[in-house]
Amino acid sequence: MTGGHRRILVVEDDPETAGQLTEQLTSSGYQVDLAASGGEALRRGASCDHAVITIDRMLPDIDGITVMRQLRDGGVAAPFLIISALGEVDDRVRGLRAGGDDYLVKPFSFVELLARLEALGRRSETIAKDTILRVGDLAIDLISRTAYRHGKDIPLLPKEFQLLEYLVRNEGRVVSRAMLLQHVWDLHFDPSTNIIDVYVGRVRRKVDDQQAYPLIHTVRGVGYCLRAPG
Amino acid sequence: MLLADTLRSTTFKLALVAIVTFGLIASAIFSFVYLSAASFVRSRSDQAIMTEYSSLRGAYERSGREGLIELIRNRIADRSSADDVYLLVDSASAVLAGNLDKWPSAATAAREWTEFRAPHGPDAASEPLFRAMSATLPSGDRLLVGTDISDLDSFAAKIRAAVIAIIFLMFVIAVVASILVTQRTVGRIESIDATSRAIMESGLDKRIPLRGSHDEWDRVAENLNLMLDRIEALMGDVKQVSDNVAHDLRTPLTRMRGRLEKAYHGERLGENDQALIGDTLADLDAVLRMFASITRIAHIETQVRKGAFRNVNLVEIASEVVELYDAAAERDGTDLSLTGDREVRVTGDRDLLFDAIANLVDNAIKHGRAGGKIVVVCENVDADAVIAITDDGPGIPPCERDHVFKRFYRLEQSRYTPGNGLGLSLVAAVAHLHGARIEMLDHSPGLQFKLRFSPPAS
Repeated sequence: MTGGHRRILVVEDDPETAGQLTEQLTSSGYQVDLAASGGEALRRGASCDHAVITIDRMLPDIDGITVMRQLRDGGVAAPFLIISALGEVDDRVRGLRAGGDDYLVKPFSFVELLARLEALGRRSETIAKDTILRVGDLAIDLISRTAYRHGKDIPLLPKEFQLLEYLVRNEGRVVSRAMLLQHVWDLHFDPSTNIIDVYVGRVRRKVDDQQAYPLIHTVRGVGYCLRAPG
Repeated sequence: MLLADTLRSTTFKLALVAIVTFGLIASAIFSFVYLSAASFVRSRSDQAIMTEYSSLRGAYERSGREGLIELIRNRIADRSSADDVYLLVDSASAVLAGNLDKWPSAATAAREWTEFRAPHGPDAASEPLFRAMSATLPSGDRLLVGTDISDLDSFAAKIRAAVIAIIFLMFVIAVVASILVTQRTVGRIESIDATSRAIMESGLDKRIPLRGSHDEWDRVAENLNLMLDRIEALMGDVKQVSDNVAHDLRTPLTRMRGRLEKAYHGERLGENDQALIGDTLADLDAVLRMFASITRIAHIETQVRKGAFRNVNLVEIASEVVELYDAAAERDGTDLSLTGDREVRVTGDRDLLFDAIANLVDNAIKHGRAGGKIVVVCENVDADAVIAITDDGPGIPPCERDHVFKRFYRLEQSRYTPGNGLGLSLVAAVAHLHGARIEMLDHSPGLQFKLRFSPPAS
């Protein structure tokens, strides 16, 4: 995992959900601040520098979006992950337009939340300016949009390359199916079949078949992770 | 229906206002006609009297009293002027010539024109009405020239009577007609009213009776009946859906409950528990996905997303779908291809269109023949944009085709393939939102789904 601070502000009014989140995030190595209302979120958000702020859309006092705007106006730079039971696209769009960086619909699995937090937390780190990214003996060229394994060209369709690029950029982190749909196909819904698995399966065959070691790993119940051994 | 109801009804009140208004206008027109006709006739007769008076006066100027007496006698002797009266009296009112017995008292020196009654003609008992002009001659004699206006008078009286009768008749007919019309209207409303009460009390199976007259009331009744049919069908759908939801939800929930119970009572074995919990999570996810699909379809049906419509290229969306499903088709040995025009533009929501096409392609892969062929064609046909997805699988029996768009409807043959029976409902909702028609065609062997987007009629 990356260095830097791993302090997270969780804004959640339901005590049980908040408790579960705190427990699981803490055991995943995060330091958790908890706010149960919009007012508290404003105070805590402004007083301390957080890696990510997760915020519920519906809070007892102030609307989550308003809290987010006020914190942003107050100079808070941390990325916001909106968590909401309102799942339809325009709610999502409204949330993202108001300054949210990602949107997660309730109910969600904790691993999905963790994967998104990792991806968001990394955004504030420096982004590599290299045009060739490497993981183990895999190299992908962002300019020519080609991939090589052990110096040998891997024939990929454009979307397959995009998928591989997203996995490489998130090297060592779990990437959920929903995240792949969102970033590779720009889809904000779940086609509710195993279509992604089949698609990743084909990319995996092209990348990993007859190689020294596999790079793309399935994470049961969540999604995928690209990492080199060792 | 009571007469009181009729009199209270709005239709009747409006009719009454119309009757009074038109009655007043008609009365004014008739009065005007009567008055102008009467005055026209009278002025013609006055003119005749004046001409006669002038010629007598001329005779008097020329040949004096004797000449005048002579002329008056000639006139009286002339049968053609039987209705005319003449009288010449001296200053002592003694009759000098004429066919009246005495100077009528109404004819004073001050008034030129007089109307009076006097015995005249063979029937001495009758006293016809005369209108006359009288004047005092320079010698002091007085001359009266007049004519019988009894006919004129009775003519005017007849016109008056006719006008009054017509107006009265008009009022009576109008009132009767409006009562009848109102009763008919109120009657039809009453039958609609009765049907709606019956529906509220007992259920949606009642319909408003038609009279077969194809008038506007029948049309209203027909439309209301169609609306009731639609509501009844929707209610049936809702029931069907809740039955299906209950079934589709109960199955995974029962499985989950069973597993949890087993885990609760059984020994704590790490590996065992993990498998149980893993399966439970998978079932739970399926249930949650089902809910997400239901709310998604409901949301699409509210038409809110029409606001975000853009001009999109159907071919681009279809090629992305084909690319996404390419791997799945390859796994089944199915040949999935895209052909047709290179640009087919529609106004719509990219995400929803993607979802709908993805569902159709997904169905074709799932229910088509393994190792078969699926063709996606985007075409501009006349002004329409058409996308067709054709497989060569077993197809859908014609009797099932109306049902497959219902929520949770699944063919018996596919009850056990993965999916939740919501895919085609979503396709239908998306098509409806975009004003597109869905066509399902036999492609023996196989099935063709067509979405036809017609440009909005401007």
